[in-house]
Amino acid sequence: MSNFSDPASPAAATARSKRATDLMRQGLAARHRAERRFRRYGLIAIVLGLTFVLFLLTSISATGLPAFQQTYVELDIYFDPEEIDPEGTRLPKTLSRANYAALVRSTLRHYFPEVSERRALRELYKMVSSGAGFELRKKVMQNPELIGTTETIWVPTSDDVDMLVKGHIDRHLPESERRVSDQQIAWIDQLMARGKLEKRFNTLFFVNGDSRQPELAGIWGAVMGSVYTLLVTLSLAFPLGVGTAIYLEEFAPKNRWTDLVEVNINNLAAVPSIVFGLLGLAVFINFFGLPRSVPLVGGLVLTLMTLPTIIIASRAALKSVPPSIREAALGMGASKMQMVAHHVLPLAMPGMLTGAIIGMAQALGETAPLLMIGMVAFIVDVPGGPLDPGTVLPVQIYLWADSPERAFVEKTAAAIMVLLGFLIMMNALAVYLRKRFERRW
Amino acid sequence: MNISAMQQARVAAPAAATTIKMHTPEPSFQEREFAGTVGTVTVDNPKIVSRNVNVYYGDKHAIKNVSLDVGANEIVAMIGPSGCGKSTFLRCFNRMNDTIDSCRVTGEIRLDGEDIHNQKLDVVQLRARVGMVFQKPNPFPKSIYENVAYGPRIHGMTKNRAELDELVQLSLEKAGLWEEVKDRMDQPGTGLSGGQQQRLCIARAIAVSPEVILMDEPCSALDPIATAKIEELMDELRANYTICIVTHSMQQAARVSQRTAYFHMGDLVEVGETSDIFTNPRHKLTEDYITGRFG
Amino acid sequence: MVEQHTVKRFDAELNNLRSLVLKMGGLVQEQIEGAIKALDDEDLDAARHIALRDQLVNRYNVQVDEDSVNLLARRQPMGSDLRLIVALEKTVADLERIGDEAAKIAQMVLRIYDSGGTAPNHGLLRDVPAMAELALRLLTGALDAVARMDTDKALEVARRDADLDEAFGAAIRHLSTYIMEDPRNMGHAINAVFILKALERMGDHSKNIAEYVLYYVKGKDIRSIEGKQATDLAVTSA
Repeated sequence: MSNFSDPASPAAATARSKRATDLMRQGLAARHRAERRFRRYGLIAIVLGLTFVLFLLTSISATGLPAFQQTYVELDIYFDPEEIDPEGTRLPKTLSRANYAALVRSTLRHYFPEVSERRALRELYKMVSSGAGFELRKKVMQNPELIGTTETIWVPTSDDVDMLVKGHIDRHLPESERRVSDQQIAWIDQLMARGKLEKRFNTLFFVNGDSRQPELAGIWGAVMGSVYTLLVTLSLAFPLGVGTAIYLEEFAPKNRWTDLVEVNINNLAAVPSIVFGLLGLAVFINFFGLPRSVPLVGGLVLTLMTLPTIIIASRAALKSVPPSIREAALGMGASKMQMVAHHVLPLAMPGMLTGAIIGMAQALGETAPLLMIGMVAFIVDVPGGPLDPGTVLPVQIYLWADSPERAFVEKTAAAIMVLLGFLIMMNALAVYLRKRFERRW
Repeated sequence: MNISAMQQARVAAPAAATTIKMHTPEPSFQEREFAGTVGTVTVDNPKIVSRNVNVYYGDKHAIKNVSLDVGANEIVAMIGPSGCGKSTFLRCFNRMNDTIDSCRVTGEIRLDGEDIHNQKLDVVQLRARVGMVFQKPNPFPKSIYENVAYGPRIHGMTKNRAELDELVQLSLEKAGLWEEVKDRMDQPGTGLSGGQQQRLCIARAIAVSPEVILMDEPCSALDPIATAKIEELMDELRANYTICIVTHSMQQAARVSQRTAYFHMGDLVEVGETSDIFTNPRHKLTEDYITGRFG
Repeated sequence: MVEQHTVKRFDAELNNLRSLVLKMGGLVQEQIEGAIKALDDEDLDAARHIALRDQLVNRYNVQVDEDSVNLLARRQPMGSDLRLIVALEKTVADLERIGDEAAKIAQMVLRIYDSGGTAPNHGLLRDVPAMAELALRLLTGALDAVARMDTDKALEVARRDADLDEAFGAAIRHLSTYIMEDPRNMGHAINAVFILKALERMGDHSKNIAEYVLYYVKGKDIRSIEGKQATDLAVTSA
């Protein structure tokens, strides 16, 4: 009779536990292997993910960073009174109508006196951005004293020159296959040699609105459009979302009707954003007759889109407030409103703010619904308020990505960098707020 | 000579061998089934009178026709196995069950002869008169001062800051916490130790001058020293307040209460003087519970 | 047996305590029988042995005390468990006293037969055997009641104690006639009184034990209620 037949004997018990230990030891190696394998998979996944992100960021930065520099040419402009204001009236109307491009041209002719043929002259003139004239006008309008004096100023070159200087146009290609002629290359080299042509920080990119000329195109219009849009969105979506969340979480009776509302809110969060754009087009523009392309309508549409996000995040924040705090407040004789206002809301606020900021970040990156309400229009002026036509950063990126000029490639990447910068700032703000106001209980 | 030697010494077996079936004590109710509350539910000078109270959670009948009086300045302990309804019954006294949607309470509960379900009695006022201390110490995540001052503030009980300061100090003194916290009134109440937090909650409750204090397992999260302090405090508070305590610890019920009520599956099985309940319970269910035969 | 505690070990400990008390009871019975036999046989060695063995009885007492205190401290018994431990603890105290009385009889045996004086008149001790038997029967009954926690038995013991008291009175009257007959009997008569008194005390202690059984079962101390009322209570709820 084996020991195992006698379960009561201590020897049998020892033998059994020894056998169990042995069996366990056999399985142990396999269990550890499985665990190591799983950890390796996780590590590989993370490394892959990080690699992709890194690749994306590097490629965008590599493309976009040159856009923060722009080739400028130094011009010694003689503000010729004959050209600007032959009658000497100094009237703003006369000053603004004057032909400043002629001043630029005369300076260029002065730089290269040997050029006289019409064709060659046109090529020479094309090297300087058409924005140079506007620049001069601005200066004269600000300070009419300049007339009759000579001033050295730096003006942007045309985008083709810029591209050549940055090396994006290959000067070894046959002349017919590039946008810069041999003659122009020679002039560029001469100017460079004379120190009259160099790359400088591109302030225009940050202060200008959109333009057909890549060297003049800037993102300020889009940034302001985004700011106004988000202001409208935030001021509508946050109070509405938080209010809805509080009502649903704290006050609404739990019945089939509120369940239906809850399911619908959750579903709304998953509705494709372009649908909201269609809704906005139909309701705000066609029905209420609000103007197209304005940040107000954009903000309204984005409000519809971010509301579910904010409601869901706010409800989660409210749910995470421990019920013991509610009981404590009610047990003290606080009314439900007092309980929410004094205790629940302060504790849920960090979570709500985080949710709102994440919703805002989502809205900041949204393109599709804004296309539907006409914010894709080409608008040069920087919007001065939510009722001025404008565009937003992602739409601006979309527009530039669609433009044929070589110089817009780097502008696109630079705009993406700016957009990413804003997104990172908003997320950092969310993290900061959470850390700052988080309370332990 | 030690005991093993004693065992070896030739000791005549007593007439009755130990294998003979022993008569176990026979309470008046032999069956383990419930057949109406045993003991006297009424008291001479009742603070709270409850009659035929029923509580339903949806379809679940959580409290079945319970009648129980709570005498003025007495500590009544409610004991019973988990889920027997003792906490639910306690929460009827300040209508905390109202906050649960699916919960329905029927029957009559009178506080000083006034029906607490009466339309004229605001639940906010009721809860100021019947304070509550919860299982887990739950001070507000605010300063110690604000915790105690909260009740008087929302009920508008003081006219100015000086009065409020005085009331806060008085409440903390009554709760035996003043000496420990007087130098750090502006620090968060959640930074105190568990026992101090619970006493802070008691101070918070008595700051609104309640007549009755309900305690729902107030010491279940505390160590024995903190528990002893709370029990001592309860004994002191009894002079001015009526206290109902729900507890899992029979020893605690035995230590602090004058009367004990035993609940089982929503029934009030037995109620009586604490000394009787714990030495000589009359119902078999009570006996089995307090001697550790189930539950 | 005590059963069905959620903590099985508690059952075992309570049963242990009870069997320890019953063993002690058995030892005490033996002590009484031995003392009476030594008196009967005029056996001095046996009497010395009995007197010495009282220490063993005391040791049981100490052991039961320790065990009960342990149980009280560690299990915090409530309800019937608490009453059982209290009843056993008190039973053991009474058993110890009975043991003392048996030892006292053994010492009387030594005093009577080891003093070198004349042997006592046989008539002086003639009531002892009958009383001893009665006392033993009461003790056996009480221990029986403890073993089964039997209220009927306990009530019987409580009632029969009166018989022993009556027998004691009769024996004293007998003794006084002997003293009047011959004052020289005085010395031995006093010894005889001690023996009779010891037996009478045994009856009282047995009655106490029976009352503890009633206390355990009924939850009421029968001594606090007088006479007929007590009997009624005991009978009606039996």
